[in-house]
Amino acid sequence: MLNIKDLHASIEGKEILKGLSLEVKPGEVHAIMGPNGSGKSTLASVLAGNEDFEVTSGSVDFLGNDLLELGPDERSHAGVFLAFQYPVEIPGVSNINFLKAAINERREALGEEPITAKEFLKQVKEKASLVELDNKLTNRSVNEGFSGGEKKRNEIFQMAMLEPKLAILDETDSGLDIDALRIVANGVNQLRSKERSFVVVTHYQRLLDHIVPDFVHVLYDGKIVKTGGKELALELEEKGYDWIKKEADAVTA
Amino acid sequence: MDLAKEMTKEQAVLDSMKNSYNHAVADSFSTTSSKSLLNLESLEFPTTKVEYWKYTRTGQIANKAWKFGNLDNIDLPENLPVAKYRMVFVNGHFDTQRSTLPQVEGLTILPFSKSEVQNSIAQSEEDIFRAWNTAMPQDGYFISLAKNKAVEEPLQIVFLYSGENTISQPRSFVELAENSELKISEFHIHSSGSLAFANAHSEVIVGDNSHLKMDIVQHGSEKGFHFHETFGEQGKNCTYTQNTFTLSGNWTRNNSTIRLKDEHSECNLNGFYIPNLKEHIDNHTIIDHEKPNCESNELYRGVLLDKSTGVFNGKVYVRQDAQKTNAFQSNGNIIVSDTATMNSKPELEIYADDVKCSHGSTTGQLDDEAVFYLMARGLSKENARKLLINAFAEDVLEKLVNEDLREIIEATIQTKLA
Repeated sequence: MLNIKDLHASIEGKEILKGLSLEVKPGEVHAIMGPNGSGKSTLASVLAGNEDFEVTSGSVDFLGNDLLELGPDERSHAGVFLAFQYPVEIPGVSNINFLKAAINERREALGEEPITAKEFLKQVKEKASLVELDNKLTNRSVNEGFSGGEKKRNEIFQMAMLEPKLAILDETDSGLDIDALRIVANGVNQLRSKERSFVVVTHYQRLLDHIVPDFVHVLYDGKIVKTGGKELALELEEKGYDWIKKEADAVTA
Repeated sequence: MDLAKEMTKEQAVLDSMKNSYNHAVADSFSTTSSKSLLNLESLEFPTTKVEYWKYTRTGQIANKAWKFGNLDNIDLPENLPVAKYRMVFVNGHFDTQRSTLPQVEGLTILPFSKSEVQNSIAQSEEDIFRAWNTAMPQDGYFISLAKNKAVEEPLQIVFLYSGENTISQPRSFVELAENSELKISEFHIHSSGSLAFANAHSEVIVGDNSHLKMDIVQHGSEKGFHFHETFGEQGKNCTYTQNTFTLSGNWTRNNSTIRLKDEHSECNLNGFYIPNLKEHIDNHTIIDHEKPNCESNELYRGVLLDKSTGVFNGKVYVRQDAQKTNAFQSNGNIIVSDTATMNSKPELEIYADDVKCSHGSTTGQLDDEAVFYLMARGLSKENARKLLINAFAEDVLEKLVNEDLREIIEATIQTKLA
C-alpha cells in the first residue's frame, strides 16, 4: 500500500529525514516511535503534503501512485488521512459544512455523486458516537474553543467520516488524559479493518496499549534504526532511547 | 500672465456644476445652501498633506468638469431583493414611478427637496465636498418617524448613478422621534462603465429610546467615484446601527461621524470591503462619546485583492464627562495578493478616567496552516481559501439587519474571489 524509499526531506535548508524507508501493507498498524527531534512529525507532515517541507530525494508510492506528485487535497482524495498533532482552529467555518464540502469534493474527484443530506446526517450521527463527540461540537466552528481532548476526538471523527485507506496519527495521544486517550483509541480500533492501514506516530508507549501495533519502528536522526513487534515499545518504555542512540551512533561512526 | 484672471480648479469645477444644476432647493434650506456656496469661494480640494485625506487622493475628482445629470432610465439591478417599500433615485432625482412609498401613520417620507429641513447637523463646512452637497443638494430621502411608532418592514432605498462626468449630490435626512424604530436598506449603484461622482450626504437623528438600523450596499463602477458622508446624533437609551458593504468601485470614501449626546446609548458601525484590481476604499469613522454610560462597537473587515488599496481610520473621542464609556473597535484585513496595500489607523482620544476602550488592527495573509488543514481533508486550495475568506466576511455579514441582502453580497464576494 505505502512504500517509502530512501526519503530525504528538509525544512528551511535543514535536513530532517535522512534516508527513511518504510513499507506498510493493507490492514497493518505501524507505530513510529523515537526521541524528540528525530523526525516523527516531519514524516507525518511530508506524507500529508505539507509544503513547508521540501523532499530532496527518495520516493513514496501509495497504491501505485507517486504520492509526492500529488497536492494535499489529491492525497486526501486518494485515501490518505492525517490526524494533526495540533488541529487548527478555524473560526467561522462550521465543522459540519466543511466536512460535507470535503466529502463532496472527494466524491467529485472520484466521479461519484454528492452525498445526500440524509445519508450525511446519518453518518455524522453514527461516526460522532464512535468518539463520543457531542452533537454541539460537530456544529461549531472547526476546533474553535475545543479542549485538547475534543480536538483529538474531532480528528478521529473526521477520519471516520472520510474513511481513508491510510490513516496517519501524528502524536494523537499528546496532551490527552487517560479517559480521552481511551476514547480516541477506541475510536481508532473500531476503524481498523483488513484494508485500512495506520501509521501511528507517538512518543509514548502508553497509546500502544490501546492501539496494538503490528510493527514498531524507532526513528532516530531521520532514519528508522530499529524495527520490532509490539514488545519493542515496552522495551523502549523501560530502557528509554539512549541504548538505541548508542547502537545507531556506533553504526554510523 | 494675468494671475487675477486665471481660474482655480475649484472655481472651474464649481462653475461647471452651477451651470448644470437643475434642482430646486427647498425654501427652508436655501439660507443654509447660500452660506455653503459662499464658503466654497475659499475651500480647496484636500491634498494628502491633510491628515484626514492622507491616503486618499482627490486629484482625479478635482480635474473633471462635473455636470449634474438627469432622471435617466436605468434598470434596477436584477438581484435587488424584493421590497414592499422602495424609493428610487437616479442621478439625484427622485424616480416617482418606480418608488412605492409606505402609507404608515406617523411616518413621513419625502424626497429631500420637499422637506422642511433647515440646517445641517455637520459641525463644520471645512470640507469642499460637504460644502458642494449643502450648496447644491439633490434628492435623497427625508424620513421622519413619529413618537411610539415602529415600522417593521425595512425601507429599501436605491440610488442609481450613471453617465459621463456626471455628479450626483443626494442629500438624506432621517429623524426618529422618541421610542420609535426603523430599518433601512440602502443601495448605491453606479452603472457599469459610467464615470460618475456620487457625493452623498446623510444625516440621522435618533431620539430617546429609539432604534435606527441601516444596511448600506455600495456598488461602484470601474471608473467612478463614490463619497458618502453620514452625520449622526443620538439621544438617550437609543441605538444606531450602520453596516456598510463596499462591494466594488474605483474610488470609495465613507465618512461616518456619530455623536453620542446623551446617556445609555449604543452606536454600532460595521463595514466590509473587498476591493480588487486597482480599487481604492477608505472608511473614516468618528464616534464622539460626549456623555456617560454609552457603548460603541466598530467592526470593519477587509479582503484586499490584486493591486487594491484600503484605508481605515477610526477615531473615538471620550469626553471628560463620558465616564463608564465602553468603546470597542476592531479592524481586520486579509491581504490576498502581494501588491495590495492597507493603511489602518485607530485613534483614541480619552479624557475620562473610568472607561473601557479597546482597539485592534490586524492585517495579514490568509492563515497557511488553516489552508493546509482544509486541503488535507480534501478541499482544493481555491475552495479552502474561499471558505476561510467567507468565514472572515461572515463576522460582518452576521450583523446584517436585513438578511435579504445576504445573497447580493455573497454573490459579489464569490465573483471577486473566482
